[in-house]
Amino acid sequence: MSNSPTEAIGTPEASPRPSAPTTLTSTIRIRLREPARMRNLELGLLLVALGLGAAAVALVQLGAVGELDGSIFVLSAVPAFLVLLLHVIERVVAKEADPIVVPIATFLNGLGIAMIHRLDIAEGYTGWDAFAVRQIVWTVIAIVLAIAGLLIVRNHRVLQRYRYIAMFVGIVLLLLPVLPGIGETDANADVWIRVGIFSFQPGELAKIALAIFFAGYLVTARDSLSLVGRTILGMRFPRARDLGPILVVWVLSMGVIVLQRDLGTALLYFGLFLVMLYVATGRASWILIGLSLFAAGAWLASSLLPYVADRFHNWLDAFNPEVYNRLGGSYQLVQGIFGLADGGLVGTGLGRGRPDIVPLAESDYIIASLGEELGLIGLFAILALYLVFVARGFRIGVAGQDDFGRLLAVGLSFVVGLQVFIVIGGVTRLIPLTGLTTPFLAAGGSSLVANWIIVGLLLRLSDSVRRQRHVVVEGSPA
Amino acid sequence: MSELTLLVLRLGFLILMWAFVFMIVYALRSDLFGNRARKKMPEPATAEAYPSSPVPPPPAPPVAVLPEPHRAAPHAGAGTPRRLVITSGPKEGLEVELPLEQLTIGRSSESGLVIRDDYTSTHHARLMLWNEEWVIQDLDSTNGTFLDGTRVTLPTPVRPGSTVTIGTTSFELRR
Repeated sequence: MSNSPTEAIGTPEASPRPSAPTTLTSTIRIRLREPARMRNLELGLLLVALGLGAAAVALVQLGAVGELDGSIFVLSAVPAFLVLLLHVIERVVAKEADPIVVPIATFLNGLGIAMIHRLDIAEGYTGWDAFAVRQIVWTVIAIVLAIAGLLIVRNHRVLQRYRYIAMFVGIVLLLLPVLPGIGETDANADVWIRVGIFSFQPGELAKIALAIFFAGYLVTARDSLSLVGRTILGMRFPRARDLGPILVVWVLSMGVIVLQRDLGTALLYFGLFLVMLYVATGRASWILIGLSLFAAGAWLASSLLPYVADRFHNWLDAFNPEVYNRLGGSYQLVQGIFGLADGGLVGTGLGRGRPDIVPLAESDYIIASLGEELGLIGLFAILALYLVFVARGFRIGVAGQDDFGRLLAVGLSFVVGLQVFIVIGGVTRLIPLTGLTTPFLAAGGSSLVANWIIVGLLLRLSDSVRRQRHVVVEGSPA
Repeated sequence: MSELTLLVLRLGFLILMWAFVFMIVYALRSDLFGNRARKKMPEPATAEAYPSSPVPPPPAPPVAVLPEPHRAAPHAGAGTPRRLVITSGPKEGLEVELPLEQLTIGRSSESGLVIRDDYTSTHHARLMLWNEEWVIQDLDSTNGTFLDGTRVTLPTPVRPGSTVTIGTTSFELRR
């Protein structure tokens, strides 16, 4: 297990001497990729992404203040430099890594900083009070951790050995906020811890630990989970005793709902497990069982827990003045929708709207702020980038040669996609609103750190996938 | 800063954002539509060089894999086959060193052993190392995987010397 991923073979493609009598070696056709083609592509896209981020900040300042202020550019130069450093490190330790994920993450992160800066201007925050400054500091920390991840995890299969430690770490991270002393209760959910001046949402990091654990566990358990069972209505259902794991995860996510009052996190973890289970076993019945379990749990929660019932009420009856004016009512949700409506197709322009009316516009509601100022067209560009990001992860999973790596790549990228769905679905009133951060965009250090670590892991996984050796047997011409 | 300039700048920003999206999609086109079709080399009759004896006598058997820095497989016992030898088909005589965990076989260019003929499915079969034993599993292929002439339906252990046939290619495992 500890061995390095398989190496690419350096035999040139086809015969170097076409006229010479064919030797056997010339019939071994091995693909040799052009050196660093991936990295040059990444560098190009990265420069475009950085330029777009800078343009967004400049537009925000021109739109909101009317003049350019250099200080935020100087500060942003540090994460920009670190991203380029990450790129250079990839050239050394992960030459064949995917060229798309880092530019997308960079662009989204930069756009997020621009929008947070715009809200700071509207609220009059400057210096260390400004969310944008703190976001830049967190970006620096996050990229450093992504680089560290890439350098430390030289072979992703090592992670498989730590699956039970990952499970333990994940559960501890989930429980930290309810511990007395470091737990911090804010108005809505109990998902924060506070150490000194830093507050942190450990649940964001737990999703990585849990993805590693689920992947490691499912690789060993998949056969009993997929091969036995009886077929009802053309679908193979598992035996009752194999329902254990899914019930454990279900109880865990219900515990999150009850103890931490956080519907979104619960949905995120349960969805992650469900999809990884489906990918590992290929049995659609698991999805059916899982969704019914979660629907039952959500229904139970909404009838027993007042906060869940409120969320449902705000969602279904948002425009009722009574619900709108109630404390903890749908004011935020409806203001976000008004903002989106004001933006229309092309938006009001960066720095020209009023996104600061919405409470928590820089974190939970950053999508509504962006939708107001960039319009539907801009929002769809953002969604397209998320789509490509998740698709890259799936692609890495499809191409993988070891089951653990395949499952891990699918799990890590799916969790990003599911989080985007839960947040944007909530903001646009498709599903009940739950407080999760939009990956890379929203203000919040824990989310940035977790998502950049995911980027680092996806780079490592894609590098080992592409470095595996190929032997090609061409069929004889018929 | 006039309103008109701002309008132009903000529309320009939207256009640039979409340009970025399309740049990425353009960069991914080879993943979406497959690799460039490589020109098919005129296939020389290499098969004639080594008639269909199960043990082809190549003077220096071509090993398609460079030695790796860490080659000691942790869970491969002394008796576990380490090589795959193609015994009939277009690449007869070709010897491949087996990977540590599993080898996927299929037409897809991402398989470990890529067989491009009319009988092979995209993801055709895979060889897995289970308890120091290589096991062949057919991945619901159209034309089937055969072990010593019988079609493989369940994951089946491959003993050294047994012949696995996929399309027009047969191979066996050797220590």
